[in-house]
Amino acid sequence: MAKKVIEIQGLNFYYPDSTHALKNIALDIFEGESVGVIGPNGAGKSTLLLHLNGILRGDNHIKLFDMEISDKALPLIRKKVGVVFQDPNNQLFMPTVFDDVAFGPLSMGLSKDEVNRAVNEALREVDMLDCVNRSSHHLSSGQKKRVSLATVLSMRPDILVLDEPSSDLDPKHRRDLIAILKRLSATKIIATHDLDLVLEVCSRVVLLNAGRVVVTAAAMEVFSNRQLLEENDLGIPIALCKAG
Amino acid sequence: MEHAFFDEYSHSDSVIHRLEPRVKILAFLLCILFIAFATGYNLKIFVPYSITVISLILLSKVPVAFIFKRVVSLLPFILMVTIFLPFIQSVEGGEKVSWGALTLPVSYNGIRLFVSVVMKSCLSVMLTTLLMVSTDFASLLKALEKLRVPSLLIMIISFMYRYVFVLEDELMKMRQAKECRSVGGSQWFHLKAQANMLGVLFLRAYERAEKVYLAMCSRGFDGHARSIYDSKIKTRDMLFLVFLAVILTLIKLYG
Ligand SMILES: Nc1ncnc2c1ncn2[C@@H]1O[C@H](COP(=O)(O)OP(=O)(O)OP(=O)(O)O)[C@@H](O)[C@H]1O
Ligand SMILES: [Mg+2]
Repeated sequence: MAKKVIEIQGLNFYYPDSTHALKNIALDIFEGESVGVIGPNGAGKSTLLLHLNGILRGDNHIKLFDMEISDKALPLIRKKVGVVFQDPNNQLFMPTVFDDVAFGPLSMGLSKDEVNRAVNEALREVDMLDCVNRSSHHLSSGQKKRVSLATVLSMRPDILVLDEPSSDLDPKHRRDLIAILKRLSATKIIATHDLDLVLEVCSRVVLLNAGRVVVTAAAMEVFSNRQLLEENDLGIPIALCKAG
Repeated sequence: MEHAFFDEYSHSDSVIHRLEPRVKILAFLLCILFIAFATGYNLKIFVPYSITVISLILLSKVPVAFIFKRVVSLLPFILMVTIFLPFIQSVEGGEKVSWGALTLPVSYNGIRLFVSVVMKSCLSVMLTTLLMVSTDFASLLKALEKLRVPSLLIMIISFMYRYVFVLEDELMKMRQAKECRSVGGSQWFHLKAQANMLGVLFLRAYERAEKVYLAMCSRGFDGHARSIYDSKIKTRDMLFLVFLAVILTLIKLYG
C-alpha cells in the first residue's frame, strides 16, 4: 500500500457568513494517485481544495505528510503542495508572465540559473514560452489558465491541487493539459466539471454534494452508476456515452 | 481589450528604448534636476533645454503630439499653482493692471518667474512621460527596485499596475451586463443600480485582495516579492549618460 499523504477526518468548515460549506469530510489521499473531485456547483469542491495547503484551516482535522497543519509547518507544506486557483486573475499577480512563474522558485530560494531553467521548462510544458515577457493582463483567459498551471509546475510540488484546470481551454490545449497531467508523477487532486478529463487522468473519484462526501470510489465505478450521477446533477462522460 | 494606457509605445524600438532602464531613469532624473535648478529669471536658457528635450523625444520615435497631449492634460494643474506668481512680486519695475475698482500690481520679474516655472514643469512632465512610454513598465519597476527605491512602494505600484486593468474590466463587464438588461426604467432606478455596482466593485476588490494574498502565500510569499533583474549596463548606455551630462553642463555654463 502506498503512503498516505493527506488524511482528512471529520472536517467541517463555515464561511464567515455562516455558510456550512464542508460537512464532516473524511478523505485519504495516497502518494502518486490522481483523484478527481466532482460535484455540482456550490458543492464545496473549491473550498475543500483550499484546505489542502492550509489556506483555509477548518477545524484542523487535516494531516499532510503525517503533520498537523500549523504555522510552523506551513512553509514546508506550501513547498510540497502546489495549488492552482479557479480564477487565474488571483493566481497571476506579478507584472509579467516570467515574474509570475519565477515567483514560486525564487521564494524557495533557488539560484538564478535554476529559476530560469524552472521557468523555461514550466512554460514550455504549457506551450506559453512565446509569451514569457508579456504582461498577464493582456493574455486571453485560456492563456492565463495555462500560465497559472506553469506558476505551480515551476515549483515541482509533490502534490498538485488543481481547481477547474480545463475550463476556458481550447480543445488542443485541453488535450495537451490531459497529456501533461498523465505524464506528471506527482499526486494530483483535480476539482472539475470536465468528467472526461477525470475519466482519463484520475483513478479515483470523490463525489461531493452540498458539502458532504457522497461517495469515494474508483472512477469507472462512479461513472457507470448512471442513477448516482443523475441524482447529483452530473452527466456521464461523453467517452462512455459512445461506448454504452 | 481597451486599456492601452501607457503601454502603447513601450515596445517600439529606438535609441531611447534600448537604453538600460536604470541608466535611463538616472539620465532623465539628471535632466529634470538641471531644468528644475535653472535660475528663474533667465528665460533664454529654456531654448537649449527645450531643444534637448525635443531631441530626446524625436530620438525615441514616440510621436511628439502624443507627449504634448499629456502635457496639455496636466497644464491646468500647473497653471492653477503658478497663476498668482506675476502678482506677488511687486518690488521693482512693476506696472498696475486694473479692472474697474480692482488694481493689481504686476512685476516683470513675476512674469518671468511665472513663465520659467511653467516651462520647467512642462519640460519635466514631457521627460517623465517620455520615460514612462518608452520603457516597459515591468522593467521600469525592476530598475527602480535595483536603484534601492523601497520595495514596499514598488510592490504597491506593481499590484496597482496589475490590478487596475482587472478592476476596469470588472466595472466594464458589470456595466455591459447592466446595459444588456436595461430596458426602460426611471433615471432614479438606474442611478441606484450604478451605486450598487460601485459597492459591489469595492467588495470584489477587497475580496480579490484577500485571495491574491492567499495565492501569494501558497507560493511561499514571506513578505518579499523577489524577481530576477538581468539587464546589464553597456558602454553605449554610459556614453549616452556622459554625453547628456556634458550637454546639460554646457547649457548651464553658457546658456
Ligand atoms: N467567500 C465565501 N463566502 C461565503 N460563502 C462562500 C464563499 N465561497 C463559497 N461559498 C459557499 O460555499 C459553498 C461551496 O462553494 P465552493 O466554491 O466550494 O463550490 P464549488 O464546488 O467549487 O462550486 P463550482 O463548481 O461552482 O466551482 C457554496 O454554497 C458557496 O455559496
Ligand atoms: Mg469551484
